Amino acid sequence: MSDAVAIEEETLLTDAELLGFIAQGYHLIEPELPAGFHETICEQIDALESNPGNDILARVPMLQQVYDHPQVRGALVSLLGEDLQMDGHRHLHVNVPGSRSQGWHQDGTNVRHHQTWCVLAIYYPHDVPADLGPTIIMPGTHFRNTPTDQLATYANLKGQVPLTVKAGTIAITHYDLWHAATRNKSKRERYMLKFLFNRMNQPTAPSWNFDAATAEDTARSYLSTMVGGQGYSSDYYKEWELRKEMWQWFKGEQVDVPPGEFRNMLS
Amino acid sequence: MANAKQQRQRLLYLHAQKPSIRADVVGAALHEPIAGLVTEVDPEAVDLPYETVHAAMVDGWRVVHFPDQRGHFEDREIDVIGYEFILEKIEVYDE
Repeated sequence: MSDAVAIEEETLLTDAELLGFIAQGYHLIEPELPAGFHETICEQIDALESNPGNDILARVPMLQQVYDHPQVRGALVSLLGEDLQMDGHRHLHVNVPGSRSQGWHQDGTNVRHHQTWCVLAIYYPHDVPADLGPTIIMPGTHFRNTPTDQLATYANLKGQVPLTVKAGTIAITHYDLWHAATRNKSKRERYMLKFLFNRMNQPTAPSWNFDAATAEDTARSYLSTMVGGQGYSSDYYKEWELRKEMWQWFKGEQVDVPPGEFRNMLS
Repeated sequence: MANAKQQRQRLLYLHAQKPSIRADVVGAALHEPIAGLVTEVDPEAVDLPYETVHAAMVDGWRVVHFPDQRGHFEDREIDVIGYEFILEKIEVYDE
């Protein structure tokens, strides 16, 4: 299914928002939807007899309105290009009372490329306070090429961000971002709808609200920003370079040092 | 044997930004030797328990594993966060 639809320019991300995504690996949206919309979605989920897996969209068709919302579409087009496609895999994640936290993990296997070919767009149809088992993410980790087994000895990390959000929030995260579900300490179930969206083609030009006059000045501060608890470390400087490469790639420019190649410091 | 007092090993994993005991701690996981008790990512955690490995040592923790300074190195890629120190405290438990 091609998802190409007309996009209004004002719904596209700004340079600062796109650069924020490059540095942090996520972007939050709170689209305005009709009163009662999210409550109705919760009621329809409540009424499901079992988890329908990939059929969740067919069983709760109103979800399409979330992902068709101009603000959501604008952000997705900005990150994935106009011909992006919704992936066939999607899932209703139900975090039940008394659950244990997951360990930190990256989805998929370790074929990390420091580009942006897939994002998760996760939607919370109700408020998610800290005791309801929010998803937790670690900003900046989408650049880390880490087998999930090697994350097994971590618990709390400096700079981790629990997605304690209000009803209707969409978190768009880079596919490689470290994340985990946390313990649901409440007596209610927590719903989270995970949808994936794919880029179909290499970027050839900016697909967001690119301002040629100011973009590089904006980029200088975002690409060098410190994320999490890294401080002045070797990783900080390497991550700065990887962000710069992703920024060049997003703009459709030739990347100075493509993934898999090494910088020649003498040239 | 019911109610016997036992010496048990508490373990504290600290991930420091650099392989120095003076470097900032960027990750922590405390494992208590109590059956059924799990160590989890906590969205309500405000601070890590120590700012440095040295601060944990001052508080009585003993380092039992040091990171390898000459560990895996990749000039371009980044992978795990920090360098892993494992510390222990031996304490008496009466369950």
